Amino acid sequence: MTTLTTPTSSGASAPTARKRRRRSVEGGWKQITINRAFLIPAIVVFVFLFVVPLLQGLYWSFTDFTGYSPEANFIGWDNYVQILNDPSMLSGLTFTLLFAVGTTLLVTCLAIPLAVQLNKAFVGRNVVRSLWFFPAVPSMAILGLVWSYILSPLPSGVLNTLLSNWFGIEAVSWLSDNTLARFSVIMVGVWAQTGWHAVLYLAYLQSIPQEYYEVAKIDGASPRQQFFAITLPLLMPAMVVSSFLLLTNGLKVFDLPYTLTNGGPGFATYTITQSLVVTGVGQGEYGLSSALAVMFTVAVGVIGFTQLRITSRIGRRFA
Amino acid sequence: MTTALWRRTLLSIGMIALALIIGVPLYYIVINTFKTQADMVSSPLGLPETWSFANWSSALGDMSIYQAFGNTLYVTVLAVLAQLLVGAMAAYAMIIARNRTTRILGSLLLVGFIIPPQSTMIPLYRTLVGFELVDSLNGLVIMYMGGAIFCFFLIQGYMRTLPYEVIEAARIDGAGTNQIFWRIVLPLIKPILVTVGVFQTMWVWNDFLLPTVFLSSPQKETIVLQVYSAVSEFTTDWPAFMTITVIALIPMVIFFVFTQRHIVSGLLAGSVKG
Amino acid sequence: MKSPMRMVVAGIAVTALAGSLGACSGDSGEADGTTTVSFLSWTGQEQMEPMIEAFEAENPDVTIEASYSPPVAEYIQTLQTRVLSGTAPDVFVVAAENKTNLIEAGAVVDLSGEPFMEGIQQFNLDTYGRDGAEYGLSLSSWAAGYAYNKEMLADVGYDGIPETWDEFLVMLQDLQDAGYTPFLESVDQMPTTVSAMLGAKTSQSDPSVDDQIFDGSSTFAEQWTPILEEYNRLYTEGLVSADVVALDGDQVRDEFANERVAVINAGPWIINAVQEANPELDWEFGQVPGLPDGMPFQAGAAAPGYAISASSDEETQEAAKTFLTWLASEQGVEMFHEATNDVTVTENFTPEVDPVFEPMVEPIRDGDLYLPMIAWQRDEDVLNVEAVAQVQRMIQGQIGPEDVAAALDAKLSS
Repeated sequence: MTTLTTPTSSGASAPTARKRRRRSVEGGWKQITINRAFLIPAIVVFVFLFVVPLLQGLYWSFTDFTGYSPEANFIGWDNYVQILNDPSMLSGLTFTLLFAVGTTLLVTCLAIPLAVQLNKAFVGRNVVRSLWFFPAVPSMAILGLVWSYILSPLPSGVLNTLLSNWFGIEAVSWLSDNTLARFSVIMVGVWAQTGWHAVLYLAYLQSIPQEYYEVAKIDGASPRQQFFAITLPLLMPAMVVSSFLLLTNGLKVFDLPYTLTNGGPGFATYTITQSLVVTGVGQGEYGLSSALAVMFTVAVGVIGFTQLRITSRIGRRFA
Repeated sequence: MTTALWRRTLLSIGMIALALIIGVPLYYIVINTFKTQADMVSSPLGLPETWSFANWSSALGDMSIYQAFGNTLYVTVLAVLAQLLVGAMAAYAMIIARNRTTRILGSLLLVGFIIPPQSTMIPLYRTLVGFELVDSLNGLVIMYMGGAIFCFFLIQGYMRTLPYEVIEAARIDGAGTNQIFWRIVLPLIKPILVTVGVFQTMWVWNDFLLPTVFLSSPQKETIVLQVYSAVSEFTTDWPAFMTITVIALIPMVIFFVFTQRHIVSGLLAGSVKG
Repeated sequence: MKSPMRMVVAGIAVTALAGSLGACSGDSGEADGTTTVSFLSWTGQEQMEPMIEAFEAENPDVTIEASYSPPVAEYIQTLQTRVLSGTAPDVFVVAAENKTNLIEAGAVVDLSGEPFMEGIQQFNLDTYGRDGAEYGLSLSSWAAGYAYNKEMLADVGYDGIPETWDEFLVMLQDLQDAGYTPFLESVDQMPTTVSAMLGAKTSQSDPSVDDQIFDGSSTFAEQWTPILEEYNRLYTEGLVSADVVALDGDQVRDEFANERVAVINAGPWIINAVQEANPELDWEFGQVPGLPDGMPFQAGAAAPGYAISASSDEETQEAAKTFLTWLASEQGVEMFHEATNDVTVTENFTPEVDPVFEPMVEPIRDGDLYLPMIAWQRDEDVLNVEAVAQVQRMIQGQIGPEDVAAALDAKLSS
């Protein structure tokens, strides 16, 4: 019974509802105060766990603070100058960007169709979903180890053994060739995240009213047309969220290249976070690493928000 | 009818095959818990020559693992519930009062998860020392509250897809902000709450970075710290490492299997009734 | 439907809370006249706990509150965070990675002249000392060289690792011709071969190689290039595959244990795993061959040393010294050796080592060991990361040996 009323009523009343929303949903001043109060916990968390430490880091970035002695002398922009003059920083930047963009595109392209399939009924659905989700569970340290055995460039490596037994292919230098190593790290990153992002899309798929598809079916739309005309546009909010997460997490990536290739061969899979850890923790040059962190945070912020803007705009066009 | 059946069978076979490939590393981890280090060296991917339960009995025979289990459970439950609540409240306030200020505030909050965790660690530690919250499970819970920003972002994105009419109708019926939040909004956003909750649970349960820095007494260890007790300077006892990893994973797998059906709950049916 | 679930969750939380509160209320022992010494252990819990129990049994007035952090990066980070926040453990270790920082920040107590520092080998005291002061009680050292499969070498007419590099390369060629994979070296760290060759060089030069580089009278280009050129012959002459750049020590060890390679770089930590995996294997350790102007040598270093925090109060420092005294005693050293299999370097105890490792024992007890990262006088971590990455690029054939050295000079001067 609800099938017919819901789409028509929401469709027809949408413009009026939008106009009315501001006034009626906000309510009187008392309600407004309560509304604002709902924000307080998040703001407190934000200020104490992010703003204060970040400001402290900002201060340290202008000092020669070592991370061991409480003394810190103001040295101006020296740390920033040093970072900008360091050639190994550039190599870290290249792979970090490549990884972030690569995983974002690939995971998005794979997770949406996967979510659509996982949403259908089939035998063993729960087990399959769990298996897809599993790579998000254990720590990256152990997954990095497992993959380094699988992708070992030696003839005794797991993948190389399979390739030579089944196809007679000679040992492939998965992790010891620059291009292949970059490719391998990105593929493992995709493997680790696709399932969880598919689950995220799955949650959003649930909010698409079944009636839309029924109406489309009556109009004679093929499954393909349904996907592009209904599913994809309605998944846009999910895509905004998911791609923002992928991109920012990709930029912050540390564990995976660190355990799988340790940044190698050479600097092929070296990341910015790795140099952050090496200078800050290993070398104890906390001032320098704070400067790096500040620049990095700004860069991630700019990239992340630009991307958010673009995807939201695309999303709005569809909606 | 028969084509539909065929399609379903094909889909099942295809999806199961694909999932099995994806699950190979899982197999690797589990199978090696039944091997001695020697057996793992000689055939890392094969079945064990003789099934050895020594790793399991030594891991489960150590009483500290139960303590660690309890600690982890405590931290995870509290941290995730608190994160979800704070995140959902903020998302709700943001959606309901959409204006310039809240929009700016919303984007500002996002700064919270573009900061690399490595860069806020030392300042945070010093702050917590001041509040005597270092080496305390509650201090750890507070640290994890940072995850609320992540929850906020995901929940807010999801709330945008909700039918406003439901909230409006409740408002007209005279329900207050509080009531609407607890009675209407929370049930409506259950799929995303479960999804985010599962994900945050995985994170908190498995996190290594924060406990290793913020906890120092052995009796407050979380389970992941136990995993790393198999690591030494030059080499690692991988079978022991993997066994404790699996012990730490089992509750997560059970948790996921039980919660995932809530991700796929009849959302619209619920909202129309309400 | 929902509320029972919530109850269960809350119930679990409360139970867990009670458990954890119960646990933390039992740890302050000051009331009955004992001193509590907090200790951040580098050695794993399984090995360290029996030693702490034995110590406490003998010294009932001192309680050790131990915590554990896996080496190396996590340990360094945990310690750094705690030192900086004024909650440093009373006893911790100084390692290659943090000694400069700890000493310069005045975070560690000078232990020179303490009775327990007598009888420790000078090499170990020097490693964690500076300007006459000694900051770390380092009880053992490790050495890494080559491990070789005796059968494979005998098959091509050798009974051990040759003494010179040229002979060694000939042997590898013979092994390759006989159908064996001759040599694998993990290059996820500074190659053992390079460290050993540098060690041989520095032991014959005065002032040492690193003194010259760091005081500006010499450069990496001058000191390192000849050695890297020799090392690179492994790859340019096709004896070893460039795939080694992606191998870690455990993978190389497994190849060796499974008899898929004749010679590998290795340290004592592989002994147990290899012998368990392949008890039949006939193998032994050997020194890294010498260059024409050098001699056979090995990579290695003094193990991290126990240090006392300068921020602890006097009474606690005294108690900490009691702990260190016990650790350096015959019983302590013996237990340490048995738990860790490390080769200890104290006068009061002669460690027993596995026969396969016998060739390396004398160099260890003599302190003939070298590791660039420890010998470097500043920027150790940054230089090490740079060196490993550049050596990998050299192995891949992207740059020449002189470029590796030039990159290190550039890094040092930046």
